[in-house]
Amino acid sequence: MKKIFGIITIALFMYACGTDDTTITTDDSGTDNTGNFDRSAMLTNWADNIIVPGYVDFNEKVNTLESATAAFTANASDLTAVRAAWLDAYTTWQKVSMFEIGPAETVNLRLNVNIYPANITTIESNIDNGSYDFGLSSNRAAKGFPALDYLLYGLGADDAAILSVYNGTEGAAYQQYLNDVVADMKELTASVLSEWQGSYRATFIDNDGASATASTDRFVNDYIFYYEKFLRAGKMGIPGGVFSGNVELGNIEALYAGNLSKDLFLVGLDATQDFFNGKAYNTNAQGESLSSYLDELNAIKDGVDLSEIINSQFDVARASVSALGSFESELSQNPPTTFLEAYNEVQRLVPLLKVDMVSAMSISIDFADADGD
Amino acid sequence: MKNYLTIFLAITAIAFTSCEDDDNPVTVEQQIEVVAPATYSFERNGENTVSFSGQTTRIQMAEELVSAMLAFDTTTETTLLDMFSNENDPFALEALNTSDKSIKSKIAASTDYFSQNSATSSEIRAFFESQLNAQISEVFPNQMTAAAVGVAGQIADQESTRYVNAKGLEYDQITTLGLVGALMADQILNNYLSPAVLDPGTNIEDNNAGVLVEGKPYTDMEHKWDEAFGYVYGASPDAENANSTIGLDDSFMNKYIGRVDGDNDFAGIAQDIFNAFKLGRAAIVANDYDLRDAQAEILRIKLSEVIGVRSVYYLQQGKNALEAGNLGTAFHDLSEGYGFIYSLQFTRNPDTNAPYLSRQEVEGILSQFTAGNGLWEITPATLDLISTTIADRFDFTVAQAGSI
Repeated sequence: MKKIFGIITIALFMYACGTDDTTITTDDSGTDNTGNFDRSAMLTNWADNIIVPGYVDFNEKVNTLESATAAFTANASDLTAVRAAWLDAYTTWQKVSMFEIGPAETVNLRLNVNIYPANITTIESNIDNGSYDFGLSSNRAAKGFPALDYLLYGLGADDAAILSVYNGTEGAAYQQYLNDVVADMKELTASVLSEWQGSYRATFIDNDGASATASTDRFVNDYIFYYEKFLRAGKMGIPGGVFSGNVELGNIEALYAGNLSKDLFLVGLDATQDFFNGKAYNTNAQGESLSSYLDELNAIKDGVDLSEIINSQFDVARASVSALGSFESELSQNPPTTFLEAYNEVQRLVPLLKVDMVSAMSISIDFADADGD
Repeated sequence: MKNYLTIFLAITAIAFTSCEDDDNPVTVEQQIEVVAPATYSFERNGENTVSFSGQTTRIQMAEELVSAMLAFDTTTETTLLDMFSNENDPFALEALNTSDKSIKSKIAASTDYFSQNSATSSEIRAFFESQLNAQISEVFPNQMTAAAVGVAGQIADQESTRYVNAKGLEYDQITTLGLVGALMADQILNNYLSPAVLDPGTNIEDNNAGVLVEGKPYTDMEHKWDEAFGYVYGASPDAENANSTIGLDDSFMNKYIGRVDGDNDFAGIAQDIFNAFKLGRAAIVANDYDLRDAQAEILRIKLSEVIGVRSVYYLQQGKNALEAGNLGTAFHDLSEGYGFIYSLQFTRNPDTNAPYLSRQEVEGILSQFTAGNGLWEITPATLDLISTTIADRFDFTVAQAGSI
């Protein structure tokens, strides 16, 4: 009796929920049409017009940051230039963070340059000890952009206080640490760029099949993983308390500089949409990418091209987040309703990408949410 | 629920009425069906009778213990052993220090399995203490060393950092998941759900007659059953509705029931466990001991299954991570697997009244984890073979348990 009651309840529940259940139709559904699409052209567009130019730009920004840091430590009188270089590099990072495949994956670039919140205790303890191994995973939260955020904005209550640390009794140790953090970032970035400009480009493009280990399949997974975990959850969901139930202001990006996390988010969102449309890094030219692939497959949802639905949702998400105040101000609301409504629009892209798009492309998602144990 | 009983009785009444034949009067025996309440809530004369504070205390102690295993800055040589046996005020929560309870006294301490087996009990306690000692002597000194073959140290696991011994095993994971079996499962399945603990002396007569434990609102039998409940739900913020937060309330049995429940192949297991606890407790109140024991049997099957499923899950996840070259992830998964496999010796198969895998079989399997360079050289083939061995003892397949 209980079981029947249970079954009826579940059935009614499912019926009442209504569904987003519309099937994605593609040409010749039943036939694997994905075999006909020219993946090689898409991979070439990705590598030559988006990924490599992106890393070239990022590498340049990191080099500029290195010079600015060296100049600052030589004469610690003005934070303006080094902060500007940091922000420029950080902004550019948002455009290449999603490319965690091949060389970047091998060196764990993202986890080595942008784990936040930074662990202040570890940073201070490293500076105190004077010796630290940046290769250790326990030091990842003590380096990269978030560590620089702390070192350039968080050492004191105002600029004068910060400068006095660099000019004070332990100034040399702080300066050394600052330079070492940047040197670590530069080394990793240079190695990734050099691989892409070397043999990896060909490896990436030549692996143009439709299997789960081919470049397209693996990169689509990385792209969606980036969107869901680092863009959506990392920059908005976790600070907004979506998963834990508690707003976590300490988890926003650029915590010490302040008032930057919304802008950094939007740069990441733009980059993700531009990639979707195959837009070149340096120009407005559009080449083969996920959008054109979906159109080739004639993927349609509820009578509309799926690529169009996805682009519309990107635009809605952008508009909602742009309309917000700074994340700090939004998250001080209790509850942070407007922030969460904007988050919902960002969230709406996830099923479109993670279910609808991959289904049309016959790609399987190869990552599971971390168990958290 | 009340509507239910009414409807059921109504239907029963109608059925009997409609079937009645005037020419042949039949005496109908009316059966009163025991129905579990919607929540784990039981009263006598308006007073709550549910109590399991000792279990809550031990779960809290275990939480502090496993956290301390990774507190490199504050944990000392003696901290962990003191927490294990509750000596020298080692806990942050003062109430734990003043308690007369300890984790150690209830490790491998069930009546059914260990009352005639102190030697084994002592070996198992020594096993846990050796994990605690090794964490301090081998892993703590190498906190800032990169782990390598034959070298204890740290290793990256996606965004986390794991601290392993020279063979790639995490002592803190072995301890945490080993406690699920040696403390929680053993006490529930082989002690508090057992007639040896529920029915000794005059417990049945006392329960029938409503004779209470001196100074308490419950009978001894009611209390014993609640203590079994407490090892699953003791840390729940709302014990009456404990299943609503399953998986969230501790790092032990509660957590992993939640995890298994989240696997489509086993969805509903959390509710089944909660229902069996409720119905068994209601059966005790109704003096229906057959019904009580039927629930105990369900709990033995389901809770043993949780341990079996997670053993296979971590073996398979670890295997996948090894094949993908993610050593840190593999070592973490396999260390958890080690702990769950250790716990298999405390499970209870109602058909044999023995564990699903014996202590000897468990030790044989675990020796493969520490042979040679341990996890640095264990092979996917070995992990598959162990997975199959375990799954074959239960009612699930490697495929079902191997992923969520």
